[in-house]
Formats: sequence, structure tokens, C-alpha cells
Amino acid sequence: MRLALCFCAVLVSSLKFADAQASVEGRVELPKTRSAPLMTKRYEVVTTGGVLGINPPLAVVYLDGSFPKPASLPTKQVAQKDLAFVPTLLPVQVGTKVEFPNLEKDTYHNIFSYSPAKRFDLGRYRPDEKPVPSQIFDVAGLVTLRCDIHEHMRGLILVLGTPHFVTTDDSGHFRLSGLPSGHYTLKAWVDSRTTREQAVDLKSGSNIHVDFPATP
Amino acid sequence: MKNLSAVIAIGLAAAAASNATAQDFLDRVDEALTFTTLNGDVRARVSGTLDLEAYYFSGPAPGLIRTTSDALFNPRLSLFVDAQLGDSIYVFTQTRVDRGFDPSDEGAQLRLDEYAVRFTPWKDGRFNLQAGQFSTVVGTYVARHVSWENPFINAPLPYENVTAIEDMSAPYASFLSVGPPAEKYEHNPVIWGPSYATGVSVAGRLGQFDYAAEIKNASLSSRPESWPITRMDFDHPTVSGRIGFRPNEMWTFGFSASDGAYFRPEAKPTLPVGQDIGDFHERVLGQDISFAWHHWQLWAEFFEARFEIPGFTDADTFAYYLEAKYKFTPQLFGAVRWNQQFFDDVTSSYGGTAPWGRDLWRADIAAGYRFTAHTQLKLQYSFQHEKNGLRDLTHMIAAQFTVRF
Repeated sequence: MRLALCFCAVLVSSLKFADAQASVEGRVELPKTRSAPLMTKRYEVVTTGGVLGINPPLAVVYLDGSFPKPASLPTKQVAQKDLAFVPTLLPVQVGTKVEFPNLEKDTYHNIFSYSPAKRFDLGRYRPDEKPVPSQIFDVAGLVTLRCDIHEHMRGLILVLGTPHFVTTDDSGHFRLSGLPSGHYTLKAWVDSRTTREQAVDLKSGSNIHVDFPATP
Repeated sequence: MKNLSAVIAIGLAAAAASNATAQDFLDRVDEALTFTTLNGDVRARVSGTLDLEAYYFSGPAPGLIRTTSDALFNPRLSLFVDAQLGDSIYVFTQTRVDRGFDPSDEGAQLRLDEYAVRFTPWKDGRFNLQAGQFSTVVGTYVARHVSWENPFINAPLPYENVTAIEDMSAPYASFLSVGPPAEKYEHNPVIWGPSYATGVSVAGRLGQFDYAAEIKNASLSSRPESWPITRMDFDHPTVSGRIGFRPNEMWTFGFSASDGAYFRPEAKPTLPVGQDIGDFHERVLGQDISFAWHHWQLWAEFFEARFEIPGFTDADTFAYYLEAKYKFTPQLFGAVRWNQQFFDDVTSSYGGTAPWGRDLWRADIAAGYRFTAHTQLKLQYSFQHEKNGLRDLTHMIAAQFTVRF
């Protein structure tokens, strides 16, 4: 009897998986490359040479809607390396725990956010600090990450109510797979002031193409 | 009424600049004021702070604040330009519009306070060469002297307590009448704020050690009018340096020293016959410790200063402060600071020995709230006690609202 129940459970989940095979791909037209960051060194008596890397703009594409919340979510990371956030843009589902490891050689960081979706200040922490400082992002919205020591550092965490999201590549291309069938709104978050959207009709096994051109 | 208006102005500014829309706007201003060439080899950024300060004193205005009133409103706009040219060249300037380098009730001034070019040939920072008009390498206060970084509104006591030393004329017998200077601005502290004098510095990091040395046109105690190269040449330079030890990210220990002539050229006719400006030096030794971990930051600095004075034995003073800052919440922080200064005896060539200043201590307590990443409000209360002074106890209450862009 127990074996039969297990078999049924596997069958049902296989059917659900088969049902969730819709996918969307396309391209988001990204804004022009942002300005390169500049580190302020006026009152640092000793400074190192070199320039900071330029991070190209990216977008996050996500399927808007109401979806069941999973029992557990994987822990994500936003590291600090070479005086920058890695990655600079991280989409997560509501309830996700994000760790902030300091991967520098010998530099303090002090990550904080004053965004309404999450206010926190991790204080100053070393590269080898254990446990790794972390926060749980339990409200949907955009969280801007900053460092109290390095004024130029900026990072973003986009907290979403959906489990279906993906970050584009540098040229704006994306592929979002494993989607449930149904009628939804597909959104492309471009920056704090720009989110584009299109209605999509997803059918089991379908692969549709959606582009998000810049609004004229 | 005037004080009330200043407080209301600060309150309105705080309210207007502290919501999410204002933060978004200031983020966009930040982006718009950063410029780069296509390949990113040349980058420049314009930034700044707008400070609105209000002071109230129970006695004479303390430190370097200049007013005969018991209250003062002091607005200040600071504009910074930072530029990175390739891997090795960094350039910066600071321009201010205010009522004087230190708070005062004078009219508006526009000044270029800092300009410098820095050459960093190696990426590991073992060597930096800098030339221009810029802050001193002595001590650790410089790193947090701008309003956004300083937990307090004023500077620690050694950087602003006016002593009996004058740099524009020899003191003669009046030096031993140790009352509060009638014309405070004719006198000098041990170190005048960040001491933006003109010169050249070298600095670097070798393992756990830092080094820095500078040759400047004016002494640590020199007034802001002495700092530009157009006002003081290099006939009597000041040489300063600091060696730092950083066992880990939490701790730093440093030793500083400085030696240079402190009289301005107009003092020459008042000096004894046969003696020159270069015969009278300010010598400073400094020790500093700082600690930072999680939401705590602690600083301590100790200075032993000696001034050579015509007609007197050397005038020695010892000044120190202990400072702590703690972040209670992501936006609210508090800070306390204990400051003290002691003056030794001097003997006149005509006879007579007396202390050349009044020993004093000052306790500072401050609270700050960051509404956004661009707006901050600080409140400070200071209580100063001077030994045997006309006014033994003085109080100061101050508020400062800062918009950073």
C-alpha cells in the first residue's frame, strides 16, 4: 500500500513537471552602458593603483502572478570583490536568505541599505568573518546595496513574489523555462524607473518569443 | 528669533530631502555627475555636500568658531571634483562657499580649499606621490573631518582649541596673561583642523606598515590664510610624517611627528633683532590608535606640542581625545568624545614663570540620524571646563543637517 502511494506521488509530480515545460525567450533592449565608477581617494593617505571595473547594465525578466511559496529557498550570495558587488544585480524570491561574503584580501566592508523593502546595516566585517553576514529578504521590492566605507559601491537586489525569473546577459537576451501554462504578464525590470510588460499565453510544451523594446 | 528661523530651516530641509523620492532624485544626480570616456580610461565625478549648521553657546564661542553672539547659523556648500586618469593618476579639488573656513558670522566667501594630483605607479600601493594643497598626513582625524563622516559637528580639541600662540606677531610679556584671547583669530591651535597646507607628500603600504611624509609651506598650527602657495612660500617649510602599523583590519596604531616654523612673514618686524622666522618652530609628536568592528568605531589621539617663543622658554602642551561611535540601528548612531589639554609653565627672559594656558577638558556627546543615503541630521552637546577661567563652565548645543550628492 505504501509503495503504491509512493508510485502515485512520483506519477503526479512527473505530470506536473511535464505540465511546466513552457518557456519564453527573447531580448530586452538595455539602456546605454552606465558611467564607470570612480573611487574617491581624497582622504586615504595610502591608495592602490588601477581602475574599477565597468559593469554593463542588465535586466531581470520575470513571470508575474500568484505562485505557491516553496517550503525552502536556496541561499544566495552577493560578494564584495575588488571594491564592487558580485553580482551587481541579484533577483531573489521573497523569503530568500542572502549572504554577503567579503572576498577582499585585507579590506573592511560595511554593507547597508535604506530601501523601504529592507533596511539593514551589517557593520564593518573582515574577509574571514564567520558566520558570513546575511539578511532574509521578506518583502518584495528593490533593495539598493551600498558600502559605508566605499562610497562608489552600488548593488541591487530585486525581491520578487514569483519563483520564475532570470537575469539577461550583457546583450539583453534571456530564456525563462519551466513555466506553468496559463495566461500571465511577463515583465522586464530594467531600472528603478523602468519596468516593461507584455501579456503572454503559455501552453504546455510551448516556447514563445517575446522582445522588450525600449519605449519610444 | 534668528536662531528659531535657523532651526526651522534645518527642520524643513530635513523633511524635504528625506523621503524616498528625494533619495531617488539624488541617486540620479549622482549618476548624472559622473563622466567617463568610452573606454573608461578617464573618469570624473562632481560631488558635494550642503551643510546647514546652527550653534548656541552659553559663554564665548568655543574652539575656532568666531562670533560675538550667543548663536550662529552657518551654511556651507562644498563641491568636490575627483578624476582618475588611467591606472596611476588621480586628481581632486575641493571648493567651498561659506562664511569662513571655520564657522563665523562673516559674509559669504568662495574658496578653493584643496587641489592635488596623485601618482600611484604600482597597483599594490607601495608608493604614492602627491602634490598640491591638501590635508596633512599627521594623525587620523583627517579621514573623517568632512561633515558626512564626522560623528560630531566640530573637531576634536587638539584640532581647534585656540592657545596663546600667535603667528602674526611675537607675544612679548602679554604671553603670560593667560586669559582667553581677546582677538581669538590672532591665535592658533596645535593643529588647525585638517591643515590644508601646500606641498608634496609620499605615502605607501609595505605589508602591515604604512608610511607617509610631507613637506608643506606652513606649520600644523597655521591658519587657513597661510595654506595657499600664493600666501606663504617655501622659505621655512614644515616637514611631517607618520608611520602606521595595521596588524589586521580592526586595529591601527600610528606615530606622527612634525617640525616647522610657525610665524607668518608679517611677524618678522616684531621678532628680536638678529632672529628670523625660521628660528621659531612648532614641533609636534603624535600617537594614534583606532579600532573598528561591526557597529563600533573607536579613535584616540595624543599630541605633545612645543612652540619656540621669542623671549620665553619653550611652551609645551599635551592634548588628547578618546572618541567612540556606535550604530544603534541602520540609521541612528551615537558618539561620545572626551578631550583634554594641559599647558606647561614657561619662563620669561625678564623673569617670572607661569603656565602659558589654562588646562581644560571638554565632553562631547552627539547623535546622528541618516534619513537616506544622502541626508543626515546631527545634534551635539558639548560641556567645557577651564581651570580658573573667567567662565569655568561653558555649554554648546549644535545641529547640523547635511545633504550629500
